[in-house]
Amino acid sequence: MKKIVAVTSCPTGIAHTYMASESLEESAKEMNIKMKVETQGSVGVENELTEQDIKEADAVIIAADTNVSKERFANKYIVEVAVADAINDAESLINKALEGAEKGQTTQINNDLYNQVSQEKSKRKESRTGAYKHLMTGVSFMLPFVVAGGLSIALSFVFGINAAQEEGTLAAALMQIGSGSAFALMVPILAGYIAYSIADRPGIAPGMIGGMLASSIGAGFLGGIIAGFLAGYLTQWLKNHIKLPQTLQGLMPILILPFLSSLIVGLLMIYLIGPPVQGIMNGLTNWLQGLTEANAVILGLILGAMMAFDMGGPVNKAAYTFGVGLLGSNIYGPMAAIMAAGMTPPLGLALATVLFKSRFTRQEIEAGKPAWFMGISFITEGAIPFAAADPFRVIPSTMTGSAVTGALSMLFGVGLKAPHGGIFVLPIPNVVTNLGFYALAIIIGTIVTALMLRILKPKLTK
Amino acid sequence: MEVNEFINQNLIKMNLESQTKDQVIKEMVEIMAENEIITDKEEVIAKAMEREAKGTTGVGKGVAIPHVKSNAVKKPAVAFGRSQAGIDYGSMDKKPSYLFFLITVPEDSHDQHLKLLAQLSRNLVHDDFRDKLLDAKDETEIMSILETL
Repeated sequence: MKKIVAVTSCPTGIAHTYMASESLEESAKEMNIKMKVETQGSVGVENELTEQDIKEADAVIIAADTNVSKERFANKYIVEVAVADAINDAESLINKALEGAEKGQTTQINNDLYNQVSQEKSKRKESRTGAYKHLMTGVSFMLPFVVAGGLSIALSFVFGINAAQEEGTLAAALMQIGSGSAFALMVPILAGYIAYSIADRPGIAPGMIGGMLASSIGAGFLGGIIAGFLAGYLTQWLKNHIKLPQTLQGLMPILILPFLSSLIVGLLMIYLIGPPVQGIMNGLTNWLQGLTEANAVILGLILGAMMAFDMGGPVNKAAYTFGVGLLGSNIYGPMAAIMAAGMTPPLGLALATVLFKSRFTRQEIEAGKPAWFMGISFITEGAIPFAAADPFRVIPSTMTGSAVTGALSMLFGVGLKAPHGGIFVLPIPNVVTNLGFYALAIIIGTIVTALMLRILKPKLTK
Repeated sequence: MEVNEFINQNLIKMNLESQTKDQVIKEMVEIMAENEIITDKEEVIAKAMEREAKGTTGVGKGVAIPHVKSNAVKKPAVAFGRSQAGIDYGSMDKKPSYLFFLITVPEDSHDQHLKLLAQLSRNLVHDDFRDKLLDAKDETEIMSILETL
């Protein structure tokens, strides 16, 4: 008995995917042909074709209005049509597939026609899904890195806030895992998978390389988002516009695309994004130096807002470096404001995921739990997955909460002599002055952040 | 998961008044709005049109399945409408459509709902299922046909 495997898929994946599948199965039954149909619909992939299925199959039918990957069907005869054709006339498709298979035809996966079709489809895919989808893909791949890294760092503080500085200790190892590895990968992963979502596999290399550069030039996760979109759209564009003779087609994915796109993205990041980032940082640092004499509460307000703006980017770093610098001059107020303001973004988001569940996705609600620990440990990065997914609503919220906390911390005259550690420094004698008011400032900032999120974030309809 | 969780007699219209594709989409969306399935009529109409622009959901054999995935949808639902005269829906087989299913689901729908809608779509391929819907006398009979899903 002849066997055919098929894949059906349509843009929304609610109706046509399944109608096409049913049609193919019905017609095959009448024609006495074995048929297995994989549906790629809204429920995800169902009835997935195994390697065995594909090996046994005489021919392949792809009835899809979306981009279905054909790599696994190499050396098979493929009939590729719109999903509607399978609904209307499955029988002639099956006949066509069998005919091709009988003549011993195989479909060249890399021929020009295929490229044209797939390019057309990816273009459509792009307009359909839009930037938000790409961003979400990047964020969901980044999230485990943030959680693993953040919790490892928090764990290292358990051994004492400076324990990680002793080489060879477990605390140092935890810091190496968390800060040196997981957090170092965070922005490259974000950028790499944004680019992957846009340009498929060829986007990963330029995306990750661009993300790595965003980290090293100090552009933070916002720089990583820029790198990801840059890499994705550039790779996609190159894929569509570089025309090679058929004999050289094979060089596209392994040599030309990754090299060219990484080179362009890398140079843009270094020469176009790098200087302004450095400029912002220098400018802000100088500006803050001039503010040392200004009203303490206003300084706290500004430092707080800066901490929550890019969470590890140039603005955040300028504020943090400013505070650490002042410790050398025995000025402890700004440091306290800065640490408090760095704690409230993850804490506020964690609180919001508990109080206002309807405004967060299931994944975000889960991510809220480790965010508590990162918040109390002054690991502001815990807020990044939320901020990256919805920057225009989350960042203003966290900035407001952090600004309030920073201002209150200065108002209450809190001083802090350690530049990190979060809650773990609080029990150490003489590190914090005015401990009770410090806790109050952090709690108020956390609540303000959560309330801002309540106001700015729309309800998701379930 | 039962079929009556996303369709009931109020969501069934035995005699659609529309004569054109645009009208029938609006008429069906109106049914959804009356039953408070959706929060924003214009948004749902726009989304449905957008989907049609990508390729008609008039799948031939007298059936059209406009569908919408949107945050303006409160819960997954199906509205069923039947046209006695037939409507030119720009179907793939260029013949008029008689049976209309407007499917609306929220952006993040539960898999169970989507599976049931998939089941409905699968059944529409079968001639006898469509014939029964065409011959049904009233809403109750439509419901009992759908309940066999």
